[in-house]
Amino acid sequence: MHNVWILVQREYLERVRSKSFMIFTLLMPALMAGSVIIPAKLAEMKSGGARRIVIVAGNPEIAIAVEQQLLETESTPGATSQADQQATESYAVAISTTPTEAERNDLLQQVTDGKIDGFLWLTDEAVAQHKVTYLTRDAADFRGNRELRSAVTAALAKHRLAEKGMSGPEVEALLTPITLDAVHIEKGKEGVSGAAVFATAVAMVMLLYLVVLIYGVAVMRSVIEEKSSRIMEVLLSSVTAKELLAGKILGVGAVGLTQILIWIIFAVAFAVSGMMAAKSFVSEIHIPTAGVIFFGVFFVLGYFLYSAMYAAIGSMVTTDQEAQQMQWPAMVPIILAVFLMNPVIQQPNSQLAFWLSIIPFFAPLLMLVRVLVEEPPVWQLALCLGLMLATIYGLLSLASRIYRVGILMYGKRPTLPELRRWLRYTG
Amino acid sequence: MANAVELRGIRKTYDSFVAVDDLSFSIRQGGVYGLLGPNGAGKTSSIRMMIGITMPDAGEVWLFGEKFHRQQLHRIGYLPEERGLYKRMKTLDHLVFLGRLHALSEHEARKRSLAWCERLQLSEWTHKKVEELSKGMQQKVQFIAALLHDPDLILMDEPFAGLDPANAVMLKDVLLEMKKAGKTILFSTHRMDQVERLCDAICLIDHGRAVLEGDLTKIKARYGKNHVQMQYEGDPALEGSDLVESFNNYGNYVEVRLKPGADPQELLRLASNRARISRFELLEPSLEEIFIAVVGKNA
Repeated sequence: MHNVWILVQREYLERVRSKSFMIFTLLMPALMAGSVIIPAKLAEMKSGGARRIVIVAGNPEIAIAVEQQLLETESTPGATSQADQQATESYAVAISTTPTEAERNDLLQQVTDGKIDGFLWLTDEAVAQHKVTYLTRDAADFRGNRELRSAVTAALAKHRLAEKGMSGPEVEALLTPITLDAVHIEKGKEGVSGAAVFATAVAMVMLLYLVVLIYGVAVMRSVIEEKSSRIMEVLLSSVTAKELLAGKILGVGAVGLTQILIWIIFAVAFAVSGMMAAKSFVSEIHIPTAGVIFFGVFFVLGYFLYSAMYAAIGSMVTTDQEAQQMQWPAMVPIILAVFLMNPVIQQPNSQLAFWLSIIPFFAPLLMLVRVLVEEPPVWQLALCLGLMLATIYGLLSLASRIYRVGILMYGKRPTLPELRRWLRYTG
Repeated sequence: MANAVELRGIRKTYDSFVAVDDLSFSIRQGGVYGLLGPNGAGKTSSIRMMIGITMPDAGEVWLFGEKFHRQQLHRIGYLPEERGLYKRMKTLDHLVFLGRLHALSEHEARKRSLAWCERLQLSEWTHKKVEELSKGMQQKVQFIAALLHDPDLILMDEPFAGLDPANAVMLKDVLLEMKKAGKTILFSTHRMDQVERLCDAICLIDHGRAVLEGDLTKIKARYGKNHVQMQYEGDPALEGSDLVESFNNYGNYVEVRLKPGADPQELLRLASNRARISRFELLEPSLEEIFIAVVGKNA
């Protein structure tokens, strides 16, 4: 045990003192904060430059109705859903009531010259056919186009209803969309909204995926480094292969936990400092305490599970390039788990979600999702953790057998039958 | 006094390949022992079994009069053939780390490391990363690592391979000093000429089996002085002589192996008939020649 402690110490101190640890530890929160702040800033910047469009309509009333609708969308942000709100643009609208070929050519020229961003071709025939054309250089701006379409639809509906003799307020009431706000129920009480739960869950699961993968690969690379630098045999003259493996996995894992701890401290500081009080929807991200605890638990278990595989792979190969080709047995399950996150997050209580989330290779990500978006029954959690522990035990003993032989082998990597023989070697 | 090392019929096979086959020998405490043989003879496999890196399939390893157990490793210093260091660790940290793995306290490991670095002129480099050191300096760090815990038994696998000449002399001096202090040293090498002069006893192995074992002086005496080196001008006419087993002619210099029982004086007479002899020397056979003779006989 004393040897393991010395190995853990070395592994831990060498890594924590390294520049790359510092950089990654600082960069990650910066990236995450950046991914929140920068889009918000960008949206603000965009709203500075209004979209200049010309509405060409035979009927001036329709043109005015569309103009009003466009300007209204901009001035009443609360009406639309939160996601749309960020994208809302402002408009500078001009109206032309001469839908002639000459006017069309003139406007086309203006668009080409960049004097206007585009024009709506709203002739009487177009309105009658429900087919309106918007001519612009960036026709692929889906969000902008969707906004225009809904503005035109609303304006035409209002116009027609008004023609049928309805008053303005009646039309408004009729056309106001219903908002649906899904509220997460936690321990029988109303919690935060569904959007926030979803965002938190996705963020935490992706972070877990990232750290499990990064530290799993770190174990593999470290084994390869010990092999290629040929220090392995020096070490083996005083410690056993098992101690070496244990020291490595525990040491690297401790580095991972340290990093996560630092991030949690960052996150708390971030939240407290009020930066999150910004008006964006991120203000609603809340990190539940249970979620943080399970994040730690699933990091530790997931890390043990995957690092055992990575250590075995590292011991089988001699170079990083070979490792690239050999690491699919460890990569495939965790990447698959990311893909399977979608069905689980949408129906966390389904049969499918249950079965997927108790598979030990998927459990770190998929059970964490379930813990974050609902409250899975305790027996399911217990089953999941039990299965994981059993799998980790099995994988570690398998990995240590491969490792013990592999670290002394150089050159050609083993074939499957050779690997089977390695498992049977006495030592 | 118990033997430092005693191998009792150890055997190791990898799949169908027999690396070590029923190997037995013992090394008495104090002195230098050579484990010799060509590449692939089973030297490294044997050493690995001596220190528990791998376990023999059959047979037993005894160290210092006790059956092998891992506590004994703290009395052993091992310099493997494949040696390396963590490149990004600082030299002193690295030595302390390896010392602690050999049961030294951190304080003691640090003290001894500094003393060794002082002695081998590495003092200015203790706080540099290993990768900043020259190859020769890294070799010194590796010796220090093997000797830091003052081991009673020092195992060196191909110690002179890849050493620069200055470090080779330094290593030899350090090891001789260890020998004087009563330590046991085992060399393993395929370059028999390099250790011949250092060893008190040897074991020659081939295909995992011991083919010759014992005190070097006795072995050499057994094979007698049947070698002649001769410098000449002209033609010594060795071709077809019934005195000569084989010879290696360099033009004006020739190495001759005599047939068993042949009289070197007769060779001198024969050669001087047709050539001027400027040097004529009778030699013991080299270990390499003994090895070839033994292996040839067995085959």
